[in-house]
Amino acid sequence: MNLPILSLIAFTPLVGALAVAALPSRYPDLIRRTALGFSLLAWVMSLLLLAAYAFGPTGFQFIEAHNWIPSFGIRYKVGIDGLSILMLVLTTTLSWISILASFGPIKDRVKGYMISFLVLEVGMIGVFIALDLFLFYIFWEIVLVPMYLIIGIWGGANRVYATMKFVLYTLVGSLLMLVAILATAFAYQVGHGGSWVGAFDFQLLQQFAASGQFGDAFQNLAFLALFLAFAIKVPMFPFHTWLPDAHTEAPTAGSVILAGVLLKLGAYGLIRFAVPLYPHAAHTFAGPIIVLSVIAIVYGAIVSIVQPDLKRLIAYSSVSHMGFVTLGIFVFSATALQGAVLQMINHGLITGGLFLLVGIIYERTHDRTIAKMGGLAAVMPVYTTVFGFFILASAGLPGLSGFVGEFLVFVGSFGISPVIAVATIIVMVLAATYLLWMFQRVAFGTLSDFLKGLGGHLTDMTGTEAVTLLPLGFLIVVLGLFPSLVLDFLRAPAQAFLAAAGVAVGG
Amino acid sequence: MNWSDIGTISPVVIAVLAAAAVLVVDMAAPGRRGPATATALVGLGAVAIAILIQAGHAGSAFGGAYSLDNLTVFLDMLFVAIAALTLMFAADYLEPRGLPIAEFAAVLIFAVTGAMLVAGSTDLVLLFVALELMVLPGYMLAGFARNDPYSTEGAIKYFLLGSFSSAILLFGLAYVWGMTGTTRVDGPDGVAAALAHVVATGKIAPGLAMGLAFMTAGVAFKMAAVPFHYWTPDAYQGSPTPVTAYLSVGPKVGAFAIALRLFVGALGPLKADWLPVVIVLAALTMTLGNLVAITQDNVKRMLAYSSIAHTGYILVGLAAYAGGQQSGLSAILFYGAAYTFMNMGAFAIVTALQRRPGVSSQISTFAGLGRREPWLGALMFLFLLSLTGIPPLAGFWAKAYVIVAAIQAGGWLTVLAVLAMINAAAAAFYYLRVVVYMYMREPGEETAPSSPGMLFRAGLAITGVGTLIFGLFPALVTAAADAANVFHG
Repeated sequence: MNLPILSLIAFTPLVGALAVAALPSRYPDLIRRTALGFSLLAWVMSLLLLAAYAFGPTGFQFIEAHNWIPSFGIRYKVGIDGLSILMLVLTTTLSWISILASFGPIKDRVKGYMISFLVLEVGMIGVFIALDLFLFYIFWEIVLVPMYLIIGIWGGANRVYATMKFVLYTLVGSLLMLVAILATAFAYQVGHGGSWVGAFDFQLLQQFAASGQFGDAFQNLAFLALFLAFAIKVPMFPFHTWLPDAHTEAPTAGSVILAGVLLKLGAYGLIRFAVPLYPHAAHTFAGPIIVLSVIAIVYGAIVSIVQPDLKRLIAYSSVSHMGFVTLGIFVFSATALQGAVLQMINHGLITGGLFLLVGIIYERTHDRTIAKMGGLAAVMPVYTTVFGFFILASAGLPGLSGFVGEFLVFVGSFGISPVIAVATIIVMVLAATYLLWMFQRVAFGTLSDFLKGLGGHLTDMTGTEAVTLLPLGFLIVVLGLFPSLVLDFLRAPAQAFLAAAGVAVGG
Repeated sequence: MNWSDIGTISPVVIAVLAAAAVLVVDMAAPGRRGPATATALVGLGAVAIAILIQAGHAGSAFGGAYSLDNLTVFLDMLFVAIAALTLMFAADYLEPRGLPIAEFAAVLIFAVTGAMLVAGSTDLVLLFVALELMVLPGYMLAGFARNDPYSTEGAIKYFLLGSFSSAILLFGLAYVWGMTGTTRVDGPDGVAAALAHVVATGKIAPGLAMGLAFMTAGVAFKMAAVPFHYWTPDAYQGSPTPVTAYLSVGPKVGAFAIALRLFVGALGPLKADWLPVVIVLAALTMTLGNLVAITQDNVKRMLAYSSIAHTGYILVGLAAYAGGQQSGLSAILFYGAAYTFMNMGAFAIVTALQRRPGVSSQISTFAGLGRREPWLGALMFLFLLSLTGIPPLAGFWAKAYVIVAAIQAGGWLTVLAVLAMINAAAAAFYYLRVVVYMYMREPGEETAPSSPGMLFRAGLAITGVGTLIFGLFPALVTAAADAANVFHG
């Protein structure tokens, strides 16, 4: 019998959540350590999985399949390819970092917080490994509830507004996605003489799609529904307005996970499901989507320049960075797609790190207004150095990982349209502008009166805080120097993606 | 009539005996809560056993007026569960207010007897009589808190509009009887056969159309479909909270039982004619129910409008049936079961908070509940998520099955499915608003913990576990619902 390693990874945090639930809430430290322990366990197992991954064969590995609701052919089916395993490791890594980063800031209702976080991890892992569309949808919705609580209970002053906006935006998209998934399965069922067997199985559905059996009109509607759900999550312009609010109000770790993993769920859904299942529609709408992506890239960067709040600035820069991802997906080139996925990982590492850094300063000042900062370099030298490192990574400094992803998307899209490629280059300059300007205002100059007033509270980074940032910084350097570590995983998925998307072009 | 007829309707007979036994016990030990509740619950248990013995069998009684089939068994079990849960939640509410528990239990069981008769009726006259037996005790329950003006007001509104709608329904039944010359639902000389003949020969007489219109209006009143829903919010808000819990599921499932026996059974051949009406009713009902629910500050009233919205979702299942999908009927039955558990659970939490007289059902009552009483808060959160339709909970599958059936039927029903999903997203706003109060606001003034009794806790556990288990293993219910979707008619 094969070890069901994927299920073990996915449900370890759930066991952790139950264990935490069983602990009495008067021992917050025990609760914190238990949660961290289970998330570390999931992380270690995901690293073992990474080592066991076979590069040779294409397609999915470590597949597990069990019947769940036979009358509709719904199965518990999970498996990974090069794309999902990278996302899985990103998730498990950021999860334990987030939990560790919450040790200090979260003092109230620690138990509920840790349960929410572990359940959130289950949902996120599940989304990346599900190979049954129905299962995928269920994990997708499971992610929503803990995030709603994390923002709504442990968030800032305007948290209720932000979390409701987040939930309602996501729900509208996801419920339409449910209709599209059911309609897709039904079309498959009709095509197979009324049998539901395999109707939600992604691999079978993709073969069905590859043989061109979904009609064009059906593809257009189903693709639009899925696209809306994913575009809200990414978020693409003009569906992005929930993001700055959610980021600003969420607690630090919530922001890290939101930027690091939740936004990737949308991009992953586009690569995994929306394009391969409805290739004809994907080509039909590629033009408008590319335009929206470029708007997002430019708009996000311009709006970032004028943001007065540190978190809001990073949130808008996320809109810009994620624009590169959707652009890379919809130009349909192997280089651009690899760049897009690399960009997803980089954004997770870099923006996750930036939110951690903002959290550190917020812990000490209880403020995030850029105008009130100034001269931090003098009092917090280590912190400022690390902050500067992440700023440069985010601005796309060559040698750090942020550069490689954007560069690959740039190269990949150059063949499609030089105009778009040039626009992306201009934005890389803009990014350097808003990031470095912000850094200059925060770090250099004389110590601001506001910070002076805090006096002794303004201590440098603690050991725990350094531990949360160290792995991220390490990966940013390593992936910047050896991007092939990631790109090797993506070769087969990129080919599969293009093969699936290419059907309509060839035919 | 012979002994085998009695055997076929044995669950109904036992239910009547149980109600009578409760009254006798109350005479022996007046005003004592324990004996009356115990007798009622044991009686309901006996009814459940009688139903289970019948499961899988088919038969009819009284010359075909009453049918025993899988649908009867499914609905009967559901009604017994509704009655038992209502009783478990009621005692803690009635006792502090000095309201008699024995009368409550007896009236409730009589109401459920009527509902069980409705489930098995395959004769228009019996259907009407059973319906009245179901709703008349309901009026009494709504006005059970005699000294509370709101309870009385709600009961009177409920009674007037209910009688009015019964009359309209009866009028419609009379038309059908007049046009077809029979009151039997099925069989060679039943309404269905006569209507099939009418459809085959091509022309629907004006009288029959009138009958159809009256019956639709009458049933729409009973299930609280827009625009026949006006009685619902006042009746729900005014009634004692455990009664509201009962009213929100018992008569509603009963009304859908009528719809199944009447529209699917008797009027099945005319389904192409009533399909457009059901589509419009469903669209109006869920949209208006949800929009008005958003503006409510009273949780009972909010749940009343939410129950109107859920009627709309269930109607989508009926429309899917008329659009040619038998699975639409399974979806209705599953929805009924899932809705029973999650909605009664939600009302039970409201009941627990109102255990001390004088506590209102305003949403502010829920402020900080997650901190004050973690268990009640967590359960309410579970029920609200299920009502919203978040997987993997019972309410999610209920919606999913309805949507699948609608998509399979295709055409306008796909549009209806999309509308239902947009509605479900809008509904998240008002359900989660309660969560906001429970978890994201601080408690108001210091309130004593509600500390409900053992029976109440058991009821909460049943509804909570049901909501969760039906969600994780929906096949448990779908098997029964699929078996019940082919019935006499």
